Amino acid sequence: MRRILALARKEVRHILRDPRSLAVAIFMPLGMLLLFGYALDMELRDLPVAVMDLDQSQTSRGLIRDMTSDGFIVDAGRLSAREEIESGFRQKRFRAALILPAGLESELGRGRNSQIQLIIDGSDAATAQIVESYMNAVISRKNLDLLRETFGEARPPLEGRIRFLFNPELRSPDFVVPGMTAVIMIMICALLTSVAVAREKETGTLEQILTTPIRPSHVLIGKVIPYMVIAAFDATLVLLVGHFVFKVQMAGSWWVLTGYSLLYLFISLAVGLFVSTLVKTQQIAMTVALVATMLPTLMLSGFLFPIAGMPKLLQWFAHIIPATYYLEVIRGVMLTGRAWYPVELTIMLSMGLLLMVVSAKKFQSRLDM
Amino acid sequence: MKPILYLVQKEFRQILRDHMMLRIIFLMPLLQLFLFGYAVNNDLKDVRLTVLDEDRSPQSRQLIASFYHSNLFLPGPAATTASDLDHLMLQGKCDVTVHIPKGYAEKLMEGGTAQAGIAIDGKNSNLAGRAGGYVAALLQQESRRLREDQLLANPQLKTKIAQIVPVTRFLYNPELETRFYMIPGIVVLVVTVISGMLTGMAIVREHEIGTLEQLMVTPITSLQLIAGKTIPFMILSFAELGFAAVIAVLWFNIPIAGPIWLLLLSAFVYLLVTLGGGILASTVSKTQQQAMFTVWFFMVFGILMSGFFYPIENMPPGVQWMTWFNPIRFFLSLVRGIFLKGLTFEDSLPDLLPMFILGVLIFGTAILRFRKRA
Repeated sequence: MRRILALARKEVRHILRDPRSLAVAIFMPLGMLLLFGYALDMELRDLPVAVMDLDQSQTSRGLIRDMTSDGFIVDAGRLSAREEIESGFRQKRFRAALILPAGLESELGRGRNSQIQLIIDGSDAATAQIVESYMNAVISRKNLDLLRETFGEARPPLEGRIRFLFNPELRSPDFVVPGMTAVIMIMICALLTSVAVAREKETGTLEQILTTPIRPSHVLIGKVIPYMVIAAFDATLVLLVGHFVFKVQMAGSWWVLTGYSLLYLFISLAVGLFVSTLVKTQQIAMTVALVATMLPTLMLSGFLFPIAGMPKLLQWFAHIIPATYYLEVIRGVMLTGRAWYPVELTIMLSMGLLLMVVSAKKFQSRLDM
Repeated sequence: MKPILYLVQKEFRQILRDHMMLRIIFLMPLLQLFLFGYAVNNDLKDVRLTVLDEDRSPQSRQLIASFYHSNLFLPGPAATTASDLDHLMLQGKCDVTVHIPKGYAEKLMEGGTAQAGIAIDGKNSNLAGRAGGYVAALLQQESRRLREDQLLANPQLKTKIAQIVPVTRFLYNPELETRFYMIPGIVVLVVTVISGMLTGMAIVREHEIGTLEQLMVTPITSLQLIAGKTIPFMILSFAELGFAAVIAVLWFNIPIAGPIWLLLLSAFVYLLVTLGGGILASTVSKTQQQAMFTVWFFMVFGILMSGFFYPIENMPPGVQWMTWFNPIRFFLSLVRGIFLKGLTFEDSLPDLLPMFILGVLIFGTAILRFRKRA
């Protein structure tokens, strides 16, 4: 035990000697949290839409008014020719253009359907789809109004009460903050641990340590303890700031969350150790950590992008990433309050144990050579 | 001129000698393109819908059919009571639930307002918001159709029922695929990583092993040294840009609608920024790890605040103002515009000019700092 602690102390000194890297490791998560909490929001508002009103009637003006009434869409001015649409899209002056044809009102008055054209800049697919949904709802409402004008007052036949469970106001931090802890823990554990072990290999000091009476497994444990502390600190920081500053809800219990998080920390460490047994130089350690752990965790775990929307092969990959399961659990605990996840728990435990055993074996056998 | 050529030659030898590095240079873009190209999707599709129909009338079945009509929804697990619905969602087994209470058809026939309860899993706030918008539009349409049916049922009705019919057309990306927006963005990422990260690390490596000192005592001037260091990475970055662009066009079928020379010009201006940034990072770092961390730090925040995932228009005014100092923002907007919308030179100026100013400033500072240290 004393030997392990001595090694850990040595590692702490290494870390403290390079304060900038330490600062990046500690403040990068906090900075990302601030950005995600304050600045990054997928909820759209004030989308500029230009209108070409060829009808200039009460109906057409009413439609434009309805469209801009709740602040989701802002009027980006009038167009006089169709050619202006594409140049407006290119210069990002507006996201969509609405063309109201001449005779809109008179056609409707004569009981004939009237087509209006909605041209949307499709380059940003997600935004384009939102604009389309919104415009369709506005037009349907207008059509209902038209019926009412013609046939007298009547209540709408159907009304849907839409509620959002678990995150009623659809706040972005509630979605992002729980996921960030998963990303941060694996990032710190895998990247820093593997680079630290690789550095000792590169400079030859690992050999020196191994000639001392310390057991190889103890060397590993001593080396990883400081990084474990940093990762746990980062995760706690993110969760606390998320909860108290960004008001991310906590529907479940902090104890349950701590339990699952410790398990995940153990897995992250196992991943870091596994990577470090594979690599010989720092450059390769960084690359492997980046390519094999960070990118998949960011992209495939469901952190920002839903797994259900991925092609089958990537979905399969997503299910061998530990973060996928932890994300399921932490979002569940924090947002829904559900506490018991037998499937995720089993998979996470087996992943952690398997990685630990394999990396310990690899580390031992390398010494025999 | 000659010393520069020698330096360039030396740098290329060093890069080509390191097989691992070579693999990274060409595998990284492939991996990024495929991961981002296929994994990044905010397409609303295959939404699991569980319906609890307590009314079991033709009218309620019609409402359910209108949901499935759109191809957006897949049938989720069945529910028999109202509490089942919330329970299924809690377990993550369905994304949207619709509850049609008893008496739905009766209400409709009386001419009253029939209610339907819709719950959407809000855990993924982005998708939930869009699903909510979609469902709201769908219900509006249904409501309008029901009203029309009521009116048509009236035999005294003489007037025809007219309505406004929207015809929607999406320019540049008719099928609305996320990858159209993503892939040009990844081209930007690839160029940024290669040019920014590698330059910084290459200079620090020479510093670490002491060969930079040796170069300094030769008659080579520090300007020549910088040229010798940046030219190889500039060539490499252009190769990388070409490589990524070819994959984007041939594999992902994304057109380059604008002029290629404009893409190359934008890339050249952008490389002033990233190569300058790499040199700057190297002047403040002692080890490769430090250089990498420094570049990485700026890159992560630069990417998050570039509009890559999150639109800049949605950011608070203060942050929007800060993005004017973010070169990635301009290059991203240029590359996306050139690829998808066919920007002309004139269209590109609002992005190209600020990027040029940033490039001159950063590269200039890098030269000054590098010289002082030497």
